[in-house]
Amino acid sequence: MTSLLDPDAAQAAIEHCYEQGWSDGLPLVPATQPLVDKFLVAAGRSPDEVIGRLPQLDRVVTVQLAAINAVMAGCRPEYFPVVLAAWEALMRERTTAGGGWQSTSGPAPLIVVNGPVRTELGFNASGGVFGPGFRPNATVPRAIGLIVRNAYGIHPHELEQATQGLPGRWSICLAENEEESPWPPLASELGLPDGVSAVSATLLRTCEFVDNRHTSSAEQLLSDFADTVGRSGSWIFEHASAGVVFCPEHAQQLAGAGFDRAQVRAWLTERSGRSTAELARAGKDRLEGRLRLPGDGEPGAQFHRVLPSDEPKNLLIAVAGARNAGISMVVRLFADWSGTAVPVTRPDAAGPTADNKVEI
Amino acid sequence: MPNAILDPTGRAHVAAAPLPGLVLAPRPPGLAGVRIGLLNNTKHNAALLLAEIGNLLAAEHSVSVTIAETKPNFAAPAPADLVQRFRRECDVVITGVGDCGSCSASAVADGIVFEQAGLPAAVICSDAFAVTASAMAELRGAPGYQYLVTEHPVAVLDAEQVRERAKRLVSEVVSMVTEPAGR
Repeated sequence: MTSLLDPDAAQAAIEHCYEQGWSDGLPLVPATQPLVDKFLVAAGRSPDEVIGRLPQLDRVVTVQLAAINAVMAGCRPEYFPVVLAAWEALMRERTTAGGGWQSTSGPAPLIVVNGPVRTELGFNASGGVFGPGFRPNATVPRAIGLIVRNAYGIHPHELEQATQGLPGRWSICLAENEEESPWPPLASELGLPDGVSAVSATLLRTCEFVDNRHTSSAEQLLSDFADTVGRSGSWIFEHASAGVVFCPEHAQQLAGAGFDRAQVRAWLTERSGRSTAELARAGKDRLEGRLRLPGDGEPGAQFHRVLPSDEPKNLLIAVAGARNAGISMVVRLFADWSGTAVPVTRPDAAGPTADNKVEI
Repeated sequence: MPNAILDPTGRAHVAAAPLPGLVLAPRPPGLAGVRIGLLNNTKHNAALLLAEIGNLLAAEHSVSVTIAETKPNFAAPAPADLVQRFRRECDVVITGVGDCGSCSASAVADGIVFEQAGLPAAVICSDAFAVTASAMAELRGAPGYQYLVTEHPVAVLDAEQVRERAKRLVSEVVSMVTEPAGR
């Protein structure tokens, strides 16, 4: 069979895609209508349906354009419903309709997948979950990046003005490790029925891991997280939202001490932040409008919480990674998070339902 | 015949049809008695810089600042009702500061909208964002659209330094919005 493949033609097609300015820097899979048609069938959506709009740039994203970009990213047809759910989840973020994709912060989408679709499509939920190494985890977020680049026309050094950009931009898509999590899936916490495949997503400003495998105290463990969540570096407005992707070991340790998700969130909300004096040292102790600016430097013991509330939308909590060490990732959110999960939908293989779609 | 490689941009058909070029609004010969509008895009120091330029113009050119507003969203173009208010209440618009990824492009888009509404506009951008500002001008069918650049950064300046910037910009603002337009 391999003798029938034509590597010379493949190389020429890949070079063609580079020459058109479509690539994010890595080779693309050239998209053809027969392959795009398989994606459209897998999703059961009309190719002309508009799923994103940036009037300021005079651009729209249709299902057809999303499918072409998903093909180019290296997705398989059956991943496309996940790409569409991830895109919809990101469309629920306030900043994606504004200047988020053009921002100097160079924010990275964080995409979390729940439900049976994880195992069905082979998403990685355990070791090395922030990547690389797994086709669905790598290609779904890459598809999002290519849609932004090509369908919105937001290219680096032009309409995209990232000062440095976040490591992992267009490559962070993780499946929740539901099997080793002591808590219900994230999508269930956000109100979807158990067993529904779903995607949650937001934009990240930065991420930093917490390595803590030396204490049996839940409070000491949580204090380590509170310190990282409360850092001033990416805290520029009155409050900032965050998230923690707990490894199974940390999640199980906390659950063993009686903490559920809401209790972890309440604990961290109360204790993550900085004192006036600490903020003053970084010139962030005075509020003017939305911004933190240098104040009068008055030393004070007053404690400023970084998180605006202990609602899920202000502290996303997920569980993913291997159960081999106490290493978890703290993420800082670019702006607000919708705090919702989008069900993954596809046509019912057993026959059409009322709306010709069924949750998988 | 192999299958065609599909275009992922949705713009393959657009490239062939060039947008109509921008016709700038007519400029007054001088600023005496002209009503000035200031549109602040919320970026730090923008309000102060615009206010200082307005003060200098009032002192040196007998203008009056008749409307000063803040954009509801720095990343999005100025809404139509805001443009209409400026159209009613002033003769010339000064706006900025383009000092971030999306707001620089957006400030240029606003300048073009004001020109189309008959209002001469001076858009001020930080020089670090000139490429994205020019990319937006091209996108809006106004390649080569001229805006004023000021040295980056603007947000970290203190009040005295902002006033200094305003002094350096004011003559450029005048030539940008009066006849003959400097572009």
